[in-house]
Amino acid sequence: MSSLSSFRSFWQKYGTLVILIFLILLIGILSPKYFLTADNLTQVVLQSSITILIAIGEFFAILIAGIDLSVGSVMAFTGLITAKMLVAHQPIWLAILVGGVGVGLVLGLFNGFLVNATGLHPFIITLGTQSIYRGLTLILSDARPVYGLPPAYMSSIGGWLWRIPVPVIIAILYAAIMSWFTSKSKAGRNLYAIGGNKSAAWYNGILVKRHVSIAFAISGISAGLAGVVMIARLGAAEPLAGVGFETYAIASAIIGGTSFFGGVGRIWGVVIGGLVIGVINNGLNILNVPTFYQQIVMGSLIIISVFLDHLVSSKQ
Amino acid sequence: MDTILKIENVSKIFPGVVALDNIDFDLKSGEVHVILGENGAGKSTLVKILSGVYSPSSGHIILGNKKFESLTPSISKSEGISIIYQELSIINEISIAENLFIGQLPEKTFIGLPVVDRKTLKSGASNIINEVGLNRSPDEFVRNLSISEKQLVEIARALTLNSKIIIMDEPTSSLSVDETINLFNIIKELKNKGVGIIYISHKLDEIPQIGDRVTVLKDGKYVATKNVADTTIDQMISMMVGRDLDRTSRLPRKLNPVNPTTIFSVQNLSRKDERVKNVSFEVREGEILGFYGLIGSGRSELMEAIFGVVPREGQIILNGMPLHHKDPYDGLKNKLAFITENRRETGFFANFSIMNNIAIVYELFNSKLGGLWGLTNAKQDKKIAEEQAVALKIKCSSVMQNINELSGGNQQKVLVGKWLASNSEVFIFDEPTKGIDVGSKSEIYHIIRQLCDAGKGIIIVSSDLPEILYISDRILVFSDGHITAEFSSDDATEEKIVHAATHKVPDYSYP
Repeated sequence: MSSLSSFRSFWQKYGTLVILIFLILLIGILSPKYFLTADNLTQVVLQSSITILIAIGEFFAILIAGIDLSVGSVMAFTGLITAKMLVAHQPIWLAILVGGVGVGLVLGLFNGFLVNATGLHPFIITLGTQSIYRGLTLILSDARPVYGLPPAYMSSIGGWLWRIPVPVIIAILYAAIMSWFTSKSKAGRNLYAIGGNKSAAWYNGILVKRHVSIAFAISGISAGLAGVVMIARLGAAEPLAGVGFETYAIASAIIGGTSFFGGVGRIWGVVIGGLVIGVINNGLNILNVPTFYQQIVMGSLIIISVFLDHLVSSKQ
Repeated sequence: MDTILKIENVSKIFPGVVALDNIDFDLKSGEVHVILGENGAGKSTLVKILSGVYSPSSGHIILGNKKFESLTPSISKSEGISIIYQELSIINEISIAENLFIGQLPEKTFIGLPVVDRKTLKSGASNIINEVGLNRSPDEFVRNLSISEKQLVEIARALTLNSKIIIMDEPTSSLSVDETINLFNIIKELKNKGVGIIYISHKLDEIPQIGDRVTVLKDGKYVATKNVADTTIDQMISMMVGRDLDRTSRLPRKLNPVNPTTIFSVQNLSRKDERVKNVSFEVREGEILGFYGLIGSGRSELMEAIFGVVPREGQIILNGMPLHHKDPYDGLKNKLAFITENRRETGFFANFSIMNNIAIVYELFNSKLGGLWGLTNAKQDKKIAEEQAVALKIKCSSVMQNINELSGGNQQKVLVGKWLASNSEVFIFDEPTKGIDVGSKSEIYHIIRQLCDAGKGIIIVSSDLPEILYISDRILVFSDGHITAEFSSDDATEEKIVHAATHKVPDYSYP
């Protein structure tokens, strides 16, 4: 094996992990006092948990060579409904199941329905529903935050278990389930097939539309879970929460090795991608870089990682 | 004649594979030099070295009096090499004329600004279009053309470049008889102008008509170079495969029932887009039913309608039961299998291993939970894939290897294996040996015969006459959406079939 091609296969497998370790070392050297502390690293993981949850959903949309731009709006919408149910003294499990997961599922299915019914690219459909779902959130909330979530909710979903933050546990469990789903279920493999070659998938007996719906449904559920976690962390449902989060979600998925052209990627890569973004945000904060610059870094990172993917996969 | 291209001691080594091993080759101006070899012999690698896509691992290339260690696409182009690829590389969304002159559009000045000179473009394009025998307006968008017409555009584009060397990779694979004759005329004119042509084809019958010299490659190694006039097709085949293949015989038929039962029948089938009109036929036990038709005659479109890819009207009956599937999923459930013509577009998943490519259809209906909601079973997948790999002699390091790394013939075997594993009752093979080497071809024929002898209904679609005559027990000829003739294998001749398909007497002879 030539050194170039062995580097290529190494990079495809572990590239994201190398980037993560490099960033941790770099920021650790620049700011040893604050960054590499147990408290701060826990904070990084906690902050990353929401990104990871929506990025897992985004992964499925990108896997089928689509995209979901509505995830930030879905997160705000589900957060709002969950909060309203909690404030109305519904049981916590019911609020999460209906307001978070259920509403997320419905919004995701609606995206899938529109994509299938119109035949338009998901970019257009979810650009539209991003605005529609945000508008609905503002109408239903009267553009005001919902406060007064029950303390039991904050201490359970926003709390700690076995000295680990609950959002982190939720993200890891969800990633494990989805990783199992992608690698072991027929539907999971069919999604890879559709991303790899949509018309071959149809000729091989895969019901493409049904699977497109599944991918967007999972994206909706994931954003719904992110909404559930978000209101627990903020202590309120903000109607303008999650604006621009699709950028983080897309960046995590792509930095995590998901091919923008469909059919390639792994859930655990996406998790590491989400952590990379968490480390960058946290590191820049610790190094006193103003927030505005963080957006520049984030945007550059998306372009660089897609470019690297393009280089690695196209030059044979 | 001057030597315009010389390849000396060129090798290309990929991780784990020697694709080319110390190859010598040369091309004179005004000659057609055919390269022959089974899939995986190294032909495509050689083309890619000449087009500048690959750099040789060792050896060098001499163009005119310049010596190169390796080429780049731009050097290759500026040295006058142009390539007509088997997989089309023209752009669907622009017109024929723009495709022909892309990168060298004629310009004029309009209010001081350079703009495209549409008039010159159009007249230049229509000359070349006429030359290649394409019956279309230069303003037509390429997406509206049939595959064979696109192939002609591809050929026409090479003509616009005034190349010194033209490489043609399977240029006739989707051309009709008339179009092929036309192409041969063009090649003759190019030769008169002193252009050197490297011609790659699996259609051996073409070689005596068109070739001057032939070089045979086998497993990446140089075998021999001969004058075409001094060799025969049978000698070429034995050089390629290292064994003799009997081309005149028919594939032996084992099962020959006196009163064969009808396995599968189609009655009054039509498509809404009218590409198939009121077609009826039946498939009987123990026979291979061949469908011959030119590209665009509607034969593949008929098969798509039967399988459920597109909506249809009319009846389909399998073993006495009417079938009502509306999509390929239910078509599969009804035990139909459709091995499509375009491997890369509708056949395999380039992001999948051999194993997943084979298991994906099998597992739709064969895992613990039926339908779409089941789980994959890696152990079973591997077992099924390995069984097929052994049975079909798929050349691979393991079934976990990515299908993209295989040669065309082996990719096709993977696709056949996928459908063999699916337990279907009726198998539709659309151009099962397109672009495949002779050895793999005969293996695939024998697999098809075995399926037939096992009582499955078999339909073969092909535009390769020798193939359809070799393999079919009964032949239906398709033209303009209709079945125009039926022959038993004893009555069928090339002339009769082509007549029914085109209403013209075939003339293969080189003008």
